[in-house]
Amino acid sequence: MSEEKEPVLGEPGEHPLSVFLFSWMRTPLFKIVVTWSLVVIGAALIGLEMLLAFRPIKDVTYAPGFQGVFGFVAFAFAVLSGWPLGKMLRRPEGYYDKRSGEAGRDD
Amino acid sequence: MTIERLADLLANTNPGFFILAAALLLPFARDVASRAILMVGGPLVALIALISAEGLSINLQTVQFLGLELVLYRPDSLSFVFGLAFIIASALVGVYSLHRRDALQDSTAMLYAGAAITAVFVGDLISLFIAWELTAIASVFQILAPRGPESVRAAVRYLVFQIGSGMLVLAGICMYVAATGDTQFALIAPSQAGLPVGVMDINAPGAVLILAGFGIKAAFPMVHNWLQDSYPRASETGAVVLSAFTTKLAVYALARYFAGLEWLIWIGAVMTVFPVFFAVIENDLRKVLAYSLNNQVGFMVCAVGIGTQLAVNGAAAHAFAHIMYKALLFMSMGAVLYRTGTTKASELGGLHRTMPWTTLFCLIGAASISALPLFSGFVAKSMVMSASHADPALFVVWIALLFASAGVLEHSGIKIPYFCFFSHDSGKRPQEAPFNMLLAMGAAAALCILVGLSPGWLYQFLPYQEAAMEYLATDLWTAGHVLQQFQLLVFAALAFMLLQWRRWYPAEKPGLIIDVEWFWRRGWPVMARAVGKRVGKAGRVVSGAIGAVGGSAQLAARQVFGPEGWVAANVPLSATAVLSLAILGVVLAFSLFA
Repeated sequence: MSEEKEPVLGEPGEHPLSVFLFSWMRTPLFKIVVTWSLVVIGAALIGLEMLLAFRPIKDVTYAPGFQGVFGFVAFAFAVLSGWPLGKMLRRPEGYYDKRSGEAGRDD
Repeated sequence: MTIERLADLLANTNPGFFILAAALLLPFARDVASRAILMVGGPLVALIALISAEGLSINLQTVQFLGLELVLYRPDSLSFVFGLAFIIASALVGVYSLHRRDALQDSTAMLYAGAAITAVFVGDLISLFIAWELTAIASVFQILAPRGPESVRAAVRYLVFQIGSGMLVLAGICMYVAATGDTQFALIAPSQAGLPVGVMDINAPGAVLILAGFGIKAAFPMVHNWLQDSYPRASETGAVVLSAFTTKLAVYALARYFAGLEWLIWIGAVMTVFPVFFAVIENDLRKVLAYSLNNQVGFMVCAVGIGTQLAVNGAAAHAFAHIMYKALLFMSMGAVLYRTGTTKASELGGLHRTMPWTTLFCLIGAASISALPLFSGFVAKSMVMSASHADPALFVVWIALLFASAGVLEHSGIKIPYFCFFSHDSGKRPQEAPFNMLLAMGAAAALCILVGLSPGWLYQFLPYQEAAMEYLATDLWTAGHVLQQFQLLVFAALAFMLLQWRRWYPAEKPGLIIDVEWFWRRGWPVMARAVGKRVGKAGRVVSGAIGAVGGSAQLAARQVFGPEGWVAANVPLSATAVLSLAILGVVLAFSLFA
């Protein structure tokens, strides 16, 4: 008589709370679902703003969706600036461990 | 002692003194129970004292010192909210530290908290300076706690900045008091609606020095690096303690003395923006939080600079909320450090599997700091944003704050929890944090949610209660306000997903990010050597020309002050110390009474 394996949620040794709260995030569709959800929610928020909180447009900051577009651009700009900044400012761990007499030898 | 006398003592004593007393008793506490009683009981008694204060905006405890009246206890609506936040934070730190047996660290942490609480409730500049210095000295032990050579070096650098701040404040106070004779803020100048905030004129003698001293402690741009240098080197509990008090005490002092000073608007705006870029590339998550702290204090400094009732309320509310959620985030990273030995993003990931409670609390802290509606950051930061938006002349500042808000989501809202608890699986399966740590994190998380869901609870303690309640009734929950904040966060989160998907998000790499500290840690020795060579050359030329005169003066000086000169001969160390103190005392007395 063969023993049937019961399907196990999560991983062996994983905390039950983690299984309950977070294991769904490891599914292959997670990124796609979240990304499209954010698109839909974002569009809905702009729609709701136009519907519930429309203001006469004095300048660009009054345009519906301004804060959304600004948030997207600002976030992307901050993150993408990490590429050149990292190259410019990153040094090996222990960079400052050299004593002062060795200052200047940055290689 | 009768009940009446006890009640009288509680109602008329600076709450910080009760925590200082607990700190002095802590080294004698041998078991967990007595430590718990002191570490949580001290703040509890302080809270009772604060609630039962005999009145606001009156001197409740004074003492005569060198002919000056020192006001040891003068609570008002500005100090109340800062004091309340500090007392709650000290209780949280007490609970969070219970797993550890380190009498020195426990005691100095309480001393530090007590000094900070004392500082916000004193009513004069001299008492403020004394408490200010005590915070500097007590806090350095939190950085020394890991007891490694790195910590010692960082502690020395930290001390240089903190003592430097104290010296500037002292020099400024001496000049100010000598010129005006005023030490009590309530007597310097009344301010908005009878509440003494922004009482000091920047053109008054010594005011710029006092501002500079406050600025160092608030980690103004270019003098901010002591924060990123020291906090990540503190123990898992030390960083929590440090995050709660130092910079927020500076914000309180700025509000009390310099609210409405336009310089602060721009300094604050710069403070909110530049840390965003450093936080993106930083690998050590506690250092990311240190940059985030800079960014958040920038919002408060900016609000203090705007100086309207709404803005001062915003600064105070933001300080309160920030103390809670930043402590929560530092606590969660502290728990990770305690269990894994690291907070480097490149070495972490996937910890949610075995540390789900810590993950959950960290996510609540992240939601709060990101100003997600229904969490504490939203109800606090909104006032600062509204205050800056209300003035068309501050459009650039408002845009800077908006950018910084998206930046906060990046570094504290997403990067901290994502790279630590999710992201790639590091293979680490640490145990969940100790119960006392979870309890402290749970309490801080509950406060973040409570303030977010019921902002009236916090608003009732703000400096201008009527203005706060009006804002709550008419502005905070308007559809436009809430929807726009959601938009900012949702679209920023969408940017994160897309950047991750396209692999455009910079990978977390081991390494050290250089900042302005480079100038004194590497640049200074290089410059000193270069300057030294030239000075040496110049010296030889000069000494050739005036060799005879110089030589004689040098010889005479050597005979008097040299190691074998008569000044050094047979003078015991204690006498030298006493002489130094006497000289300092004479200078201080001269400055104060001239």
